[in-house]
Amino acid sequence: MSKFAVLIQVNLKTILRDRILHAILGAVVVGLLLVPAISSFSMRQVQELAISLALSGISFFLLVMAILLGSSSIWRDVEQRHTTSVLTLPLSRTTYVLAKFAAIAIFLLGTGILLGICSIPLISVAAASYPSDQPILWGNLVVALCGDIAKSMLIAAMALLLSSISTSFYLPFFGSVVLYLCGSASQEVYEYVTGEFVRAMHPLVIVIIKSVYCLLPNLAAFNYKVQAVYALPIPFEQIAWSVGYGTLYVAMILVLAVLTFNRRVLG
Amino acid sequence: MNPILIERISKSYKGKKGQRIQALSELTLEVKPGEILGVLGPNGAGKSTTIKILTGQIPPDSGTVEILGAMAGSMQARSAFGYLPENPAFYDFLTPREYLHLVGAAFAMSVDRIKSESDRVLALLDLQTDSDRPLRGFSKGMVQRLGLAQALLHDPDLFIWDEPMSGLDPMGRALVKGLMLELKRRGKTIFFSTHVTADVEAVCDRVAVIVGGRLQALNDVQEILADGIEGYQVQILNPSAELAARFSASEDNGVMTELYVSREALPGFLDLASRGGEDIRLIEPRRRNLEQFFLDIVSRNQR
Amino acid sequence: MKGRLALVTLVLAYLCLLPGFIGQMKERPIEVKLGYQPHARVIRLVSGEFSPLVAEMSVVNLLFYYGTLVDKWQKNIIIRPEYMNMFRMLSTVSELDPYNQDAYYFAQAAFTWELGRVKEVNMLLERGMQFRTWDHWLPFYAGFNSAYFLKDYAAAAKYMQRSAELSGDTLRTKLASRYLYESSRTSMALSFLDGMIAREKNAAVIKTYQVRKEALQAVDTIEQAVLAYRQAKGGNPAQVSDLVASGLIKVLPRDPYGGEFYLDNDGRVRTTSQFANPDQR
Ligand SMILES: Nc1ncnc2c1ncn2[C@@H]1O[C@H](COP(=O)(O)OP(=O)(O)O)[C@@H](O)[C@H]1O
Ligand SMILES: [Mg+2]
Repeated sequence: MSKFAVLIQVNLKTILRDRILHAILGAVVVGLLLVPAISSFSMRQVQELAISLALSGISFFLLVMAILLGSSSIWRDVEQRHTTSVLTLPLSRTTYVLAKFAAIAIFLLGTGILLGICSIPLISVAAASYPSDQPILWGNLVVALCGDIAKSMLIAAMALLLSSISTSFYLPFFGSVVLYLCGSASQEVYEYVTGEFVRAMHPLVIVIIKSVYCLLPNLAAFNYKVQAVYALPIPFEQIAWSVGYGTLYVAMILVLAVLTFNRRVLG
Repeated sequence: MNPILIERISKSYKGKKGQRIQALSELTLEVKPGEILGVLGPNGAGKSTTIKILTGQIPPDSGTVEILGAMAGSMQARSAFGYLPENPAFYDFLTPREYLHLVGAAFAMSVDRIKSESDRVLALLDLQTDSDRPLRGFSKGMVQRLGLAQALLHDPDLFIWDEPMSGLDPMGRALVKGLMLELKRRGKTIFFSTHVTADVEAVCDRVAVIVGGRLQALNDVQEILADGIEGYQVQILNPSAELAARFSASEDNGVMTELYVSREALPGFLDLASRGGEDIRLIEPRRRNLEQFFLDIVSRNQR
Repeated sequence: MKGRLALVTLVLAYLCLLPGFIGQMKERPIEVKLGYQPHARVIRLVSGEFSPLVAEMSVVNLLFYYGTLVDKWQKNIIIRPEYMNMFRMLSTVSELDPYNQDAYYFAQAAFTWELGRVKEVNMLLERGMQFRTWDHWLPFYAGFNSAYFLKDYAAAAKYMQRSAELSGDTLRTKLASRYLYESSRTSMALSFLDGMIAREKNAAVIKTYQVRKEALQAVDTIEQAVLAYRQAKGGNPAQVSDLVASGLIKVLPRDPYGGEFYLDNDGRVRTTSQFANPDQR
């Protein structure tokens, strides 16, 4: 097996053997099992609520895992001196950083798919109890799930970048939480400042907001929940844009992480 | 080609309040093929700093380091040695076998070879029974032994070990000393650091004494030991009166007499003894040991 | 070096992608979500000393959401706004911070005309009056709602009386009586809207008022023509087009809500849009 593959394997084992993960995963599964029960509280939107609860639950879990895993990765290896033993082997730091990301990404993909499969029967049960006037477009649900997985991967990459610079938990954790919040709101804010009701704002402020918008990750690009819940059509083109955007953005972040970590002096 | 060539390296760290801590100054050292070279120095002397530079973890401020002709820190250099860090820490969710798998893969070893070599090194360091237990529950000594095992895995010609005996029990220390001598017998080169003189005495060909970041002495261990002979302890059965008069007895139990003969007086003593047909039972050199040698250097530097 | 090259390449690729990406992001169905809010008491417990701030942020969120809705109405994109959540959020805000005037004013602006939640709005206004005891606008709104929508003139008179006392503006009671007994409903509404537009700051809310006003002005025009028709011909016109044919109106005014004006059997002006945006019907 290649060095890269073995490093990924080692990182995955480290992720999967963590007790905290087991606890969080257990809580999410219990939460998902409650979906049919909670959805039945809605009067007319049982199916819609079930879909939106399941997707949001999975999305939230993936987000929490992405932030926790990403922001406890590289700096912790440095602090616990794992890098002393691993990076003196003939392994490049590039391989090391990319394997860290790959392991987190594989974990997010795997658990995302797993939880997605788990929620199929739960949504079906809820939908059957009060048929909606809309069909369930499973294809849309898959797109929405993939969007959530992609979003969590992007957050993980951000957290990884921050943890490659940091020497403690604070910067990567709070940094990625803040980036997540900003990234979720950026599209709204952008639409607001480019909308027709903005006259009071200084043009300079608008320029600043627009450039920050271009810099920040646009997490709205990965949000297909509305389309999944209300069975709206999703043009293929839209998915292609999201994929292109996500790939480029993550690639940029990772290259940045590799560059910064390669320059870091590990005493 | 020399396994290790260190030329005039200096290194300073940032200390508190913007002060610089000079950890190494103008260190030059050369390790020859097939030798065991011990770097001896008190705590904070710069031993680990030297080894971190050798293994490419930190760059020197000035000077150059070559490992088997390759620049320190390069992939080629890192493939050439087996490194044991000071107080190693490994991914503690892994088992020794899993960690060895990672190390083997890093050295591009085949899966089969990783497996057989893992068995070999785990047996060598007496870790077989714990080989599939996560490292979380390991004692310091066990982790240290795994550190040695992973350094031995790809069977390189050069070993760089930072304090290999630390954290080990007496059995472990004996094991490691035996291991070092065995490696030397197989023609391997070992560069290791320690602050324990007995370790140097037991295994080293040469010793480099570093104090305050400077090389203070670089000697052949056997020479130090020979140079250190100050006199001899002699046991004679019923010595003649003449002998007893010239050399004062340190102990006399009626049958066996113990004498002290200084280094200069030895020829005269032997001459006299052979003429008198003395019954010499034991001649033992009395040496100023390595520890004394080391302490002298350290105290000279502190003055 | 290789890494930097990769980074530069990626950044360039990203910059190339951005314009197209931003363009298509605007095409997507509305993403602004209000979402469900926990019960007001829970929020108050959690937010503690910050509950006025939380209330304020909720209103900002709501206004922002409403702004995007209005934006979409202009472009005739049909979506399902979360009216229930909007109203729930308003009542939550009024519980978190009963002094927050935005909640009451916004409820008046958004939930009376097109959505017809007049009773609920008046209940909210009543609550506001208990706290904002100095605010003469709240009883004024409630009075208008009672008269115009609910046709409860007794209640309206009481509210208007209170508003007049608070504002010290005795004209208001007279205004109220004029509203109630002399004027047609349409001109009552028009002058109310003029007052609202003059006081409003939020662009989206002004926009909705203006659309309403335009519709009411159209109705007013047609109503005047019907009146003239009656006086001239002694009977009701059969269709609105009769008004144009007889030269009483040059061009039939447009319904800004996208409907068609018509006359019911009693000669009253109606529209197929029922004065509501497509998603509110
Ligand atoms: N990362 C560091 N930052 C600051 N000072 C350091 C650092 N590492 C080592 N030093 C200092 O450099 C000197 C040499 O340290 P070291 O090489 O670890 O000594 P040894 O291994 O011989 O005990 C010591 O004074 C130590 O305090
Ligand atoms: Mg040390």
